[in-house]
Amino acid sequence: MSALILRRVALLGLILLAVSLLTFAIVNVLPGNVAHAILGETATAEEIRAVEQRLGLDRPLVERYLGWVGAMLRGDFGTSLAFNQPVAPVLLARLWNSAILAALVLAVAVPLSLAVGVACAVFQGSLLDRALSAFAVVAFALPEFVIGLALILAFSIWWPILPGSSLIGPGENPLAQPEALVLPITVLVLHQLAHLSQITRASMIGVLDSNYVRTAELKGLPRLTVIVRHALRNALLPTVAEVGMHFGYVLGGLVVVETLFSYAGIGQLMVMSVSHRDVPTLQATVLVVAAAYGVGNLLADVVSMRLNPRLRS
Amino acid sequence: MPVAGNGAAPIAARKARSGWARVVRSLLGGAFPVGVLLLLAFGPSVAPGAPTTFDPANILQEPSLAFLFGTDEFGRDVFSRVLWGARPTLFLALACAGLGVLLGAPTGLAAGYFGGRIDEMLMRTMDVLMSFPALILAMLIVVMLGASTINVILAIGVVFWPRSARLIRSVTQDIARREFVDAARARGEPVVYILGREILPNIIGILIVDFTLRVAAAILLTASLSYLGIGVKPPTPAWGLMVKEGQQFLQIAPWLVIFPCLAIAVVSIGTVLTGDRLRRAIAIPDGRGR
Amino acid sequence: MSAQAPVLTVDGLTVRYGRGEGSLRAVHDVSFAIGPGEAYGLIGESGSGKSTIAFAVVNHIRGGRAEGGRILLGDRDLLQLPRAELEKVRGRQVAMVYQDPHSALNPAIAVGEQIAEAIRQHQGANRREAAARAVELLGRVHLPEPGHIARRYPHQLSGGQQQRVVIAMALACKPDLLIMDEPTTGLDVTTEAVILDLIAELRRSLGVAILFISHNLGVVARVCDRVGVLYAGELMEQGATADILRRPRNPYTRGLLNAIPRRTDKRQRLVSLPGGLPDLSQAITGCVFAPRCALARDRCRDEAPALARLEGGHLSRCHFPTETEALPVAAPQRAGDDAVPDGSGAPVLRLDGLRKTFTQSGGVWPFAQRRVSAAVDSVSLEIGAGETLAIVGESGSGKSTLAKCVVGLLAPSEGHVELDGGRIGLTAQSRARGVRRALQIVFQNPEASLNPSHRVEEILARPLRLYDLCAAAEIAPRVSELLAAVKLGERFIDRYPRQLSGGEKQRVCIARAFAASPRLVVCDEPTSALDISVQAALLNELIDLQRQHGTSYLFISHDLGVVRYISNRVAVMYLGRVVETGPTEEVFAPPHHPYTEALLSALPTIEDEPERARIRLEGTMPDPANPPRGCPFHTRCPRKLGAICETEAPPEQHLSANHTLHCHIAPADLARMQAR
Repeated sequence: MSALILRRVALLGLILLAVSLLTFAIVNVLPGNVAHAILGETATAEEIRAVEQRLGLDRPLVERYLGWVGAMLRGDFGTSLAFNQPVAPVLLARLWNSAILAALVLAVAVPLSLAVGVACAVFQGSLLDRALSAFAVVAFALPEFVIGLALILAFSIWWPILPGSSLIGPGENPLAQPEALVLPITVLVLHQLAHLSQITRASMIGVLDSNYVRTAELKGLPRLTVIVRHALRNALLPTVAEVGMHFGYVLGGLVVVETLFSYAGIGQLMVMSVSHRDVPTLQATVLVVAAAYGVGNLLADVVSMRLNPRLRS
Repeated sequence: MPVAGNGAAPIAARKARSGWARVVRSLLGGAFPVGVLLLLAFGPSVAPGAPTTFDPANILQEPSLAFLFGTDEFGRDVFSRVLWGARPTLFLALACAGLGVLLGAPTGLAAGYFGGRIDEMLMRTMDVLMSFPALILAMLIVVMLGASTINVILAIGVVFWPRSARLIRSVTQDIARREFVDAARARGEPVVYILGREILPNIIGILIVDFTLRVAAAILLTASLSYLGIGVKPPTPAWGLMVKEGQQFLQIAPWLVIFPCLAIAVVSIGTVLTGDRLRRAIAIPDGRGR
Repeated sequence: MSAQAPVLTVDGLTVRYGRGEGSLRAVHDVSFAIGPGEAYGLIGESGSGKSTIAFAVVNHIRGGRAEGGRILLGDRDLLQLPRAELEKVRGRQVAMVYQDPHSALNPAIAVGEQIAEAIRQHQGANRREAAARAVELLGRVHLPEPGHIARRYPHQLSGGQQQRVVIAMALACKPDLLIMDEPTTGLDVTTEAVILDLIAELRRSLGVAILFISHNLGVVARVCDRVGVLYAGELMEQGATADILRRPRNPYTRGLLNAIPRRTDKRQRLVSLPGGLPDLSQAITGCVFAPRCALARDRCRDEAPALARLEGGHLSRCHFPTETEALPVAAPQRAGDDAVPDGSGAPVLRLDGLRKTFTQSGGVWPFAQRRVSAAVDSVSLEIGAGETLAIVGESGSGKSTLAKCVVGLLAPSEGHVELDGGRIGLTAQSRARGVRRALQIVFQNPEASLNPSHRVEEILARPLRLYDLCAAAEIAPRVSELLAAVKLGERFIDRYPRQLSGGEKQRVCIARAFAASPRLVVCDEPTSALDISVQAALLNELIDLQRQHGTSYLFISHDLGVVRYISNRVAVMYLGRVVETGPTEEVFAPPHHPYTEALLSALPTIEDEPERARIRLEGTMPDPANPPRGCPFHTRCPRKLGAICETEAPPEQHLSANHTLHCHIAPADLARMQAR
């Protein structure tokens, strides 16, 4: 098992390497020119040359890639064009804010999804099940900004009980204003709940239909024991793997939600760097997000290995 | 709503209808696709005005009989803009989903049927593409290629590629394991025949479902991109863009945001439901679960 | 029958699946009783409702409900008990063992704990006591090192070990009634024998009553005192096991018995039952079996027969129970020449030193040492024109791998294949069209052998087109001809596979193989997924086709009864190697290889044969990646001589011109040991 985890960590290293290559390639090799992207389409040839020189874009690709990765490994994430300061501290402060948001979302969404999914599976076909399934379709089909705007209209404009924007700056502690977190978290939780609960439901229904659950029932165990001890544990396996994949949706959702609620996280930073044509910041942010995604997947894998006796032995 | 019948489903009834009849029925059963087609065909012609006509006399009008969905800060009729926005929104989503499935299906078929090294190579490449959150990869590609409709299609197509490939691969593996494929190989059928005549007909239903669900996902992604200001460019009445532009007037003119949001919601939910219906229709005929 | 009050009384049970139109009446008005310590068998083919009854007895019918009747356990009706009461009965008074032990055990919980929790639940034992009891029970079902096994997870145990765990779990609270639903189906015949012995032993020592459900008459005969025969949800006949097997009084039972291939001459056709199960979603008037019954007359079609009481407590649901005995035991002989090919002519197919190895990765790291295992090892065989060579062996013996090598689905790692004296390519791709045409295959699972999106016409026409066997205009008539040859009518031409029954599908597969006018057809367990009565018809047709076309068969099967009936010669495989080969009757009679002896001894049979020596194989087949030195069978051989078996490969010994076996024991000694 520990060998398996080690192997999985090694794999993460490889994936991060590939991700850095791909990020670099998208930014530097795709037909769009970096200097063009920075300066916009009206730039003159001289301006472009000046920017290329300043950013070292005239050097060979391999050298630039190695230089970029090497600097990243040393903690030098480059210099932001928009803020005219190193990217690393800006990124770190915002990463913390985003991490808090993401952690809170997962802490609420995962247990809630499990509970809802299990309830739907156990009472399959009931009114509760149908209502929640219908809700899941709706919540999953709506983009985050639509849910978010609906919540803002409802709870901060028509019935103003919650702030419609967080206005948390970089370096501020988001936990200091918990009321400002309620709406952003709700948006992301609704979205996660929609999908994760349905996955839990499907896998739980499959497990409840299995022969070993039948064995447990025919042993004369009480229903609750059968559901918790025999069914839930096996139903968790696919769900946990899915939580890892879904971490990607959370990260994508952060971009939208942070922009919508003016919350200073990496998602907002990414959008800002896009609108300011700040390529070094964008490049670094994307890589950090991909790394976070990789780590999230790794954690999910480790948890599912722990749950699965086939892999544990 | 729950799918009736496990092994004990009436055999006679199952025999009567072929798989395709179910698919067609379930497609027609939903009024949604018909509505969407009508909207696409006639939306702009029933729209009271052009989506880009400025009307300085009527800025930020509340919804009324004259302006069903109200007007924006330039006096443009929101109802017209929403109707005109249907085409770009849907065509864009169809193109993104189409490209994704077009890239993903051959990749998945090859990986699933050949297995071994080919599978390893293809799927590890897909893993790398999968290791970016969807929205972020799309964003990065569009920013670097430059914002244009074609580039949005390319970017989202690439985002869907590994997701489609994975699904088609697992279905292909499942089919390729069955003995009728072995029988074809033993007869000495060429690979093209095996992939095209033995395997493809059995996964086409899943391809259709996958495509439908990708369309729904593409509506979400493109809307989010244009909301972030990264997708198609301003004069186009894309719904996501309308929401972004209207958001600053949320306090005084919420209709600028509400109606495009509703449009997105209706189309997106409708597509997801259509995909769901299709999935149920297709999952049953074979008579074997997994 | 015992005079004591019965443990279980099933009274007028009727079960229906689904509601309204299209619902199925799976069980109709079934009544029987089981006395204390008695073993009662329920026999039936698929769709007979036997498993439904098993689950109805514990009031646990998924997707269906009991519409009428009572299930009396002692004097309590389980169908009326509230859930809480039912939980106290299940596991304590009634316990259940069913097919496929792998899926019956929870993959995430250690097996000892799975037993212990039932003990804690019903007997109020604390953790330590319950765990100790669980270990004791595991020992009771003869699992080696029970303390160690208790801490293992299901996936770490073999199929036979898993089924022992399930039995131990069922016995945990000393139930009055044990329900066993096909407890040995899916296990190898050698494992099956050991499990059946265990069941018999436990029954003797614990005095538990057993409701034993199976499709296999031989298995039921070995376990049960009394038998009930089910057809289409109705109890057709009931009586003492010996009576039912020797003097059946119901035409259906007679038909079932006739369909079992026995040690008869291949020239004798098997009697098969025409037609299939009635549609249970429709109301049935008259006798459920009338449409397939040779005795049926107007009264049978109009009036449903009641259970007629015959002497000795024998019951039969038939208007004319006494006439059953007049039914023929076997069908008429085959016409035509009686010459049985002896394989003496030039062989059609020759396998020379065939070896097929597979490599598995050796661990989690990419450069770990790879493990090489030989699924087939130095196999040399010949098959003559018109001859049937059967390959038998347990699962994992390499028989299917061998079949795939012959048709080129797998490339042998060593050795070569000859067709009509000429070497042929190792993979189908590398073989000439004529060679691929000459070697055809019929697979085990008819469900997966036909492409669900192709019509029968397309399936049968494909080989004709691929091999250019006839002009475009002749394809349609040829397809009809092929269908007729496997007794399917024109109306099947436009059907999709999902519109065919299992037997019909397998017929299409056979027709597809014969469409190519092959020299040899590999039949990989062609009837093992089918009911006995369907199997009989299919075997008849395979033999007819062989006689018509002079085709050779390489017939792979785990069913020794079928093999004995259909084959001219047999090759017995163990761990990838052929340990014995020879003419069928010689291999089936001693002296034979100790492994063959064990296989035959394990075979459940209904024939009047003198008691065979009870040879039981313990343990499982060794890991082919790490085969034993010396004789591959020495780890399980009941006749092992000693050190020589562990160190030296056994020599090839010739018992007759074409009967050879690989063993250190001299044939004369084997003959002495195996003499009854």
